[in-house]
Amino acid sequence: MHLVRALRATLVALALACGITAHATELTFRFNDPDVTQIRAALDVFEQQNPGIHVKLEQMGWGDAMSQFLREAAVGTGPDVLHVAFVWPKDMGAAGALLPLDKYMAASGGSGDYIAMDLATGRDGHVYAVPWTVDCWTMVYRTDLLQQAGITTFPKTWEELRAASLKIHQVTGKTGFGFPAGSAASNGIWFLVNYYWWNHGKPLVVNKPGGGFSAGLDQTDIAGAIRYFDDYFKQGDTPRSMLSVSNWGDPAIIEAMASGQQAIGIMPPANFKQIAAAWRARNPNGGDPPLTTAEVPTELATSVVNVGGRSLAINANTKDPDAAWKLVQFLESKPIFTDYYTSQLPARKSVLSTLKFPPGMQGYAQQLATARSWGPYADGPIPINTMWNATGRAFGSAFIGELSVDQASEQLLSVITKGLQ
Amino acid sequence: MRPRARIGDGAVLLAAVATLVFLLYPAVVIFSGSLQTNETLFARNRFDLTWGNYRRIFDAGFGTYLSNSLVICLAATIVATVVSVMAAYVFSRRRFRLRRLLLTGVVAGQWFPWVVLVTPLFILFARSGLTNSYTGMILCYTAISIPFSVYLLLGYLETVPRELDEAALVDGCTPLGALWHVVLPVMLPGVVATATYAFLLCWTDYLLALALLTRPDMKTLPLGLYQFFGEDTTDWGAVMAGSAVATLPALLLFLPLQRWLVSGLTAGSVKQ
Amino acid sequence: MTLPARRRTPRADRIFVALMLAPSLLILAAFYLYPILSNVWFSLTDLSLLKLRRGGSYIGLANYAEALGGADFWRVVWNTAFWLTAVSVVVRLLLGMALALLLHSQALLRLRLRTLMRLALLVPWATPPIVAVAVWRWLLNPQAGGVNRALLWLGVIDQPVAFLASTATVWPAIVLILLWNTLPVVTLTLLAALQSVPQELGEAAALDGAGGVRIFRHVTLPHIMPTIAILSMLMVFWTFNNFAYVWLATGAGPGRYTDVLATEVYLRGFVDFNLGSSAAIGVIMAITMGTFGLIYVRVLGRRVTS
Repeated sequence: MHLVRALRATLVALALACGITAHATELTFRFNDPDVTQIRAALDVFEQQNPGIHVKLEQMGWGDAMSQFLREAAVGTGPDVLHVAFVWPKDMGAAGALLPLDKYMAASGGSGDYIAMDLATGRDGHVYAVPWTVDCWTMVYRTDLLQQAGITTFPKTWEELRAASLKIHQVTGKTGFGFPAGSAASNGIWFLVNYYWWNHGKPLVVNKPGGGFSAGLDQTDIAGAIRYFDDYFKQGDTPRSMLSVSNWGDPAIIEAMASGQQAIGIMPPANFKQIAAAWRARNPNGGDPPLTTAEVPTELATSVVNVGGRSLAINANTKDPDAAWKLVQFLESKPIFTDYYTSQLPARKSVLSTLKFPPGMQGYAQQLATARSWGPYADGPIPINTMWNATGRAFGSAFIGELSVDQASEQLLSVITKGLQ
Repeated sequence: MRPRARIGDGAVLLAAVATLVFLLYPAVVIFSGSLQTNETLFARNRFDLTWGNYRRIFDAGFGTYLSNSLVICLAATIVATVVSVMAAYVFSRRRFRLRRLLLTGVVAGQWFPWVVLVTPLFILFARSGLTNSYTGMILCYTAISIPFSVYLLLGYLETVPRELDEAALVDGCTPLGALWHVVLPVMLPGVVATATYAFLLCWTDYLLALALLTRPDMKTLPLGLYQFFGEDTTDWGAVMAGSAVATLPALLLFLPLQRWLVSGLTAGSVKQ
Repeated sequence: MTLPARRRTPRADRIFVALMLAPSLLILAAFYLYPILSNVWFSLTDLSLLKLRRGGSYIGLANYAEALGGADFWRVVWNTAFWLTAVSVVVRLLLGMALALLLHSQALLRLRLRTLMRLALLVPWATPPIVAVAVWRWLLNPQAGGVNRALLWLGVIDQPVAFLASTATVWPAIVLILLWNTLPVVTLTLLAALQSVPQELGEAAALDGAGGVRIFRHVTLPHIMPTIAILSMLMVFWTFNNFAYVWLATGAGPGRYTDVLATEVYLRGFVDFNLGSSAAIGVIMAITMGTFGLIYVRVLGRRVTS
C-alpha cells in the first residue's frame, strides 16, 4: 500500500517537474523607442530572475504602432506586452484589444502612485494600462541671445513672449521663437496651441456638467490663437520655413538652436538634450551650454501643459497573462529607470519628486509638477488623432492664406462640435 | 577598340557632368553624413568623423535585415521575372479569346493605392499563417512585381520581330525553345531593366513589410531603417549609415548585370 | 537541339498558352482578389479600425456621397491628377528620354563614362524614399541647405526660398524629390528599349543622308513606342496612387495644400480610423485609374497591345 502510494507520489512529482521545465513561456515585448540595447539588457536580467520565461524584444516606430496593433489584435495575434502612448488605452480597450488589469493592479498595491491614471482607465471603468514614463514640454531659451537683446527675465505671459521674440529678431537678426507650424497629422503646433488655450483657461474639450462633452471655447478664441501665432510670421521673427516643419525635433529647429540661429523653442527633454549635446560638441571647452528652460507662459496663476507619456499594456490575446504581468511589474520597477531606460522619467509621483535634473533643465521639473492629463480630450467621442490633425490643418491653412482666420476657426470648431455630439 | 574622343563631345561631357552632380550629390550628402556624429551632422562648419554610426546599425541587427532583404528580394525578383516572361510571351505572340480580359486583370491590382490594400492583405496573410515568413514575403513581392513586369516585357517583346520566332519554329523549335534560344537573347536588355525594377521595388518597400513582418529577426532593410526614427529624436547618423548600407548591395548586384544592357539584335539574324 | 518539324495542334497550343499564363494568374488572384473585394465591401460599411473584429454595418453609398460631396475633394483630385501625376510623368518622360539617349550615345562611350553613369543611375533609385525625402528637405532648407546656397551664389535669387513652405514652390519641390528618386526607372526602361533598335536601320538612314534628329523621330521613336506607351501608363497608375512622397515631404500640408487622394486614404483610415471612408476613396481612385487605363489602351490601340 505504502509502496503504491509512494510510487504514485513520485510519478506525480516527476510529471510536475517535467511539466515545469518543458513548458517554457514565451513572451513578446514590443518597445517603440530607440533604446533597444538598454531594454534588452534589462530583459536579460528579467529572464535570469524568472527562469522558464523567455522574452522576445520587438521594435516598431510610433507612427504605425497603433494601427498595426489594432490589425493584429483583430486577428488574434500581436505582442504580449506593448508600449503604448498615454492616450491610446481608452480606444484600444474599447476595441477589445487590451486585457483589463484591475485585479493585477489591486493585488500589487493599487494605482495611487501613478501619474495620469485616468488615461490608463477605459471608458468602462476598467484599467487597461499601467503608466510607465512621463515627459512634458517647456520653453527653451538661448541665454546668450536673450542677453544680447537685453532681455533679463523669462516671459511670463504670452504677450511678453511675443515681445521678447520680436525684440530678439530686431536686435540680433536671429530667429525669435521658432515653433513647428507644419500641418502633418502628428504636428507640433497642436501642443503649442493647446497650451495657449489652457493657459487662457479655455481647453478645447470640456466635460458638460450634466454629462457628455462640449467645446470649451468659441470661434473667437480659436481665431485669437490663430492671429497670435500668425503674427510671428507676419513680423518675421519666425521664418516662414517653419510652415514646412511639423516635428518638434526637426533638424531645422535643433540645428538652429544649437548654432545660435534661434533663441526660443518649445520641446520635450529629449530634444533639449540633443541641442545641449550638439552645442557641447562644437564648443568642447565652453563649459555648460547657454541653454535653459522656463515654464510655458500663462495668464493664470500657474502655468499648465499636458503631461505626456507612455504606458505598458497587455494584449487581450495573450496566452499567459500572469507571465505578462510579471514582465510589466519588472519594467515598472525603479532599477529600470536608474540603470537601463535612463532617457525617460518614470510615471510615478514618489520617484519623480526625488529626481535630480541636469543643469538647465529645472524648467521641466517645475512644469511637470503642475502638468495636467488630457482628460476630457481622451474621454470624449472624438479620437485625439482627429482633433490633432484638424487643428494642424486649420492653423496651416490660415497661415498660408488659403482660408481666412474666421473660416479656419469656424472649420475647426465645427469638426469639434459635430464630433462631440 | 574604343574610338578616340571628338570635339563635339564637349557638350556631351557637360551634360554628363551635370547629370552626375544631380544624381550623386544627395548620395554624397548621405554618405558623408553617415561618417559624422549626430551632434555635428547638420552643422555647416564642423565635421566630427566617426565609424560609430555603422557600428550602431550593425549592433541593432542590420546584418540580419540585409540578409533578409537579399533573400526575399532576389527570390521574388527571379520568380516574378520568370513567370512574367512566360506570360508576356504568350500575351505578345498569341491571340486568344480572353486575352484582353486577362491583360486587364493583370494590371487591375495597380489601380488601387497600396495604403488601402494593406489592412485586408494583413488579415489574409495573418489568417493563412504567412506573416513573419520568407514564403509570405516572397509571394507578396512577386505578386506586386508581376503586373508591371508583364506589361514592360510585353512592350519589349513588341519590338522583337515575330519573324525571329517564326524562323525558329519553322526550323523545328518548340515554342518554349524559340522563346529561350531566340527571343530571350534579343530582349535581354528589357529583361534586365524589368528585373532591376522589380528588385528595387521590393528592396525599398516599407508599407507591406511593415504590416507583414513584425519579428526583429525577419525584418527587411527599410523596416530596420525606420526604427531609427523616434517620435522626439531621430538617430540621423544611423539613418544615413543605414541608407548607405541599403544602397551598396543594389549597386553590386547591378554592376555585372548592366553589361547586358546592350543591343542583342545582331545584323543578319532576320532571314530576309 | 531542334526536333523534326511537326504540326502543332491548336489544342496543344491552347494548353501551352494556359500553362504559360497559369503561374502569374494564380499568384495574382491569390494575392489581389481578397484585398480588392474586401476593400469594396469595406467601402459600403462604416468599418472602424477600432472595431475591426466586430466588422462594420452596411451603409450603402454613404461613404461615396460624403467623399464626393466634400468641399475640398475636387481640389484634392486636381492636386493628384495635375501636379502629382501629369506634371511629374511628363517631366520624367522628357528627362528620362534625354538621359537614356545620353547613356546610349557613342560619345559617352568615347568619354569612357558609360559604366560610371549607369551605376550613378542606380544610386538615387536604390535610396529608400524616407531617406531621399529627408536629405532633400535638408538640401531645400532656406537657412542651411545646399540648394539655396547654390542659387544665391549663382545670383538666381537674392533671398533664400522656403521651398516646402511656400505655396508657389511646394509642388515643384515635391516633384523634384519624386523625380530624383524615380527618374532612373524611366531612364533605364527607355535605355533598354533603345538597345533594341536595330543598328542597321539607323545606319541605313544615316547613309541616306538623314541627320540625328530625323533618325530619332522616324526610326528610333516608332520602334520604342510600345515601351514608351506602356511605361507612361504604368507611371500614371503608380504616381496617381502614390502616398509616400507627399506624406513624407509635407504631410499633405501646409494646411491641406498638397493633399492628394492617397494621403486622404491614409488620413481617413489611420488618423480618423474610418476604414469605410478610406476604402471608398480607394475604390474611387481605382475606378479612375481603370477608366483611364481602358481609354488609354483604346486610343493608343495598336501601339500598346497590337
